[in-house]
Amino acid sequence: MRLLSPLSWLISPAALFALWAVLANAGLFPANLLVPPLEVWHSFTDLLATGELQEHLSGSLSRLALGFVGGALGGLAFGTALALSNTVEAYCAPLFHTLRQVPSIALIPMFVLLFGVDETFKIVIVAKTAFFPVALATCEGVRAIPRSHFEVAAVYRLRWTTLVGRIALPAAVPAIVTGVRVALTRAWVVLVACELLAADSGLGQMIEMGRQMLRIDVVMVGVVITGVIGFTLDFALRRVERRLSGWQSH
Amino acid sequence: MKRHNIRGLVLPLLLLGAWEYASRQDAAGAYAFVPLAQVGSAWVELLGSGELLINLWASLVRTCTGLAVGIVGGIGLGALMALSAPANRLIAPLFHALRQVPMLGWIPLIALWLGNGESAKLLIVSLAALYPMVLNTFESLRQVEGQHREAARVLMLSRAQQLRLILLPAALPGIAAGVLQALAFAWVTSVGSELFLSSGAGLGSLMMTAEAGARMEIIVVCVLCIGLCGYLMSWLCTLLSRRLLRWRPTR
Repeated sequence: MRLLSPLSWLISPAALFALWAVLANAGLFPANLLVPPLEVWHSFTDLLATGELQEHLSGSLSRLALGFVGGALGGLAFGTALALSNTVEAYCAPLFHTLRQVPSIALIPMFVLLFGVDETFKIVIVAKTAFFPVALATCEGVRAIPRSHFEVAAVYRLRWTTLVGRIALPAAVPAIVTGVRVALTRAWVVLVACELLAADSGLGQMIEMGRQMLRIDVVMVGVVITGVIGFTLDFALRRVERRLSGWQSH
Repeated sequence: MKRHNIRGLVLPLLLLGAWEYASRQDAAGAYAFVPLAQVGSAWVELLGSGELLINLWASLVRTCTGLAVGIVGGIGLGALMALSAPANRLIAPLFHALRQVPMLGWIPLIALWLGNGESAKLLIVSLAALYPMVLNTFESLRQVEGQHREAARVLMLSRAQQLRLILLPAALPGIAAGVLQALAFAWVTSVGSELFLSSGAGLGSLMMTAEAGARMEIIVVCVLCIGLCGYLMSWLCTLLSRRLLRWRPTR
């Protein structure tokens, strides 16, 4: 029963840490392949103190924000149009569902050639990654709105903008937030991947530089921070999701 | 229905037209937007020299090997976590913490440890397939209905029998859904890992070489291949799982 105490959740992470520290300090592996946890912590505080980390972080996060907002807004608009209009569906759906199959990672080399290795390429690829899940979720969310809602809207002779803004969106919002959450985590992964491949700043570039200079402590700091940011984004949107769908599920 | 199909073709054709138009504008345009005819000849060239097939085959083999490792490991780990509370207590926190790091974020670290050869790529692909398998196996074993568990208890089945006769068959649809997810992840990660560790054969390596030489037509061919193969594999997987799970009564 002792195992069931809440503290037992800490056993395995603590054991891993201990094993790591013991192995690293025992000197079984070369120091540039396995650094002790304490050293990783030191390089983390060093990176913080010099402001290097903040610089890379703000670079990455501003790219993410810019690309994601653009892609998500586009996806929102397109998904709504796709769900509501038969014409849009007839013209765009086949292309949309075909392009959706192509993974963003595979597009990196193509976009590098099209847009160069500068900011544009990263923002475009983040926007592309965000666009498809949001558009798909929006389309399905809007389609799932009961027909009666539209009938009521027709009876009240609501304007088109009111119909979308006041009826369609609120009813479809929980599904959309799920799409946004998926899109955000994917966009973050793809952005870090882009920065690993081609960037002059950003978290991914910091990791890549660390790798080239065999600074495994810097690489580890980068990997952990990437994970923490991914987790935080996902966690925050999960909270929003739960709150927004609270009124729906009884 | 006929008209519907034709309307769906308008936009793709327009885009292709715009692409072709951009390629004919000036030298810079032709550099980024290669003429369609050139893409066609690149297909023929890559197929003829066997380059495409060799690289495609390498990527596919890596995906399948990684997928197999991920499926076996994932079902094992997921089942262990679902069936034994202490194991779950011990493994789950570590598993969920490690899961947060994006797959491609691991690449630099793994590359430092294992080099940039085949083993590093295989490890990454296997891990990518492992996560969805563990999650799906865990969830679907947990959600096996109470009736089934009671029946198992009444029949006084041993733990191994319970697992083999009751729990696993009941969890199979969920596990099959996990395989479908794992397949998609494994394919993307396989190509992604080749982009980063572009030694050896693989579609990603082919793309990186083409990028260095600014051969857009090869990249286009690769992207088409990747999309097509991903689609075909998940279609095949869906078909297969539907056929294998035919015996399940649909409620």
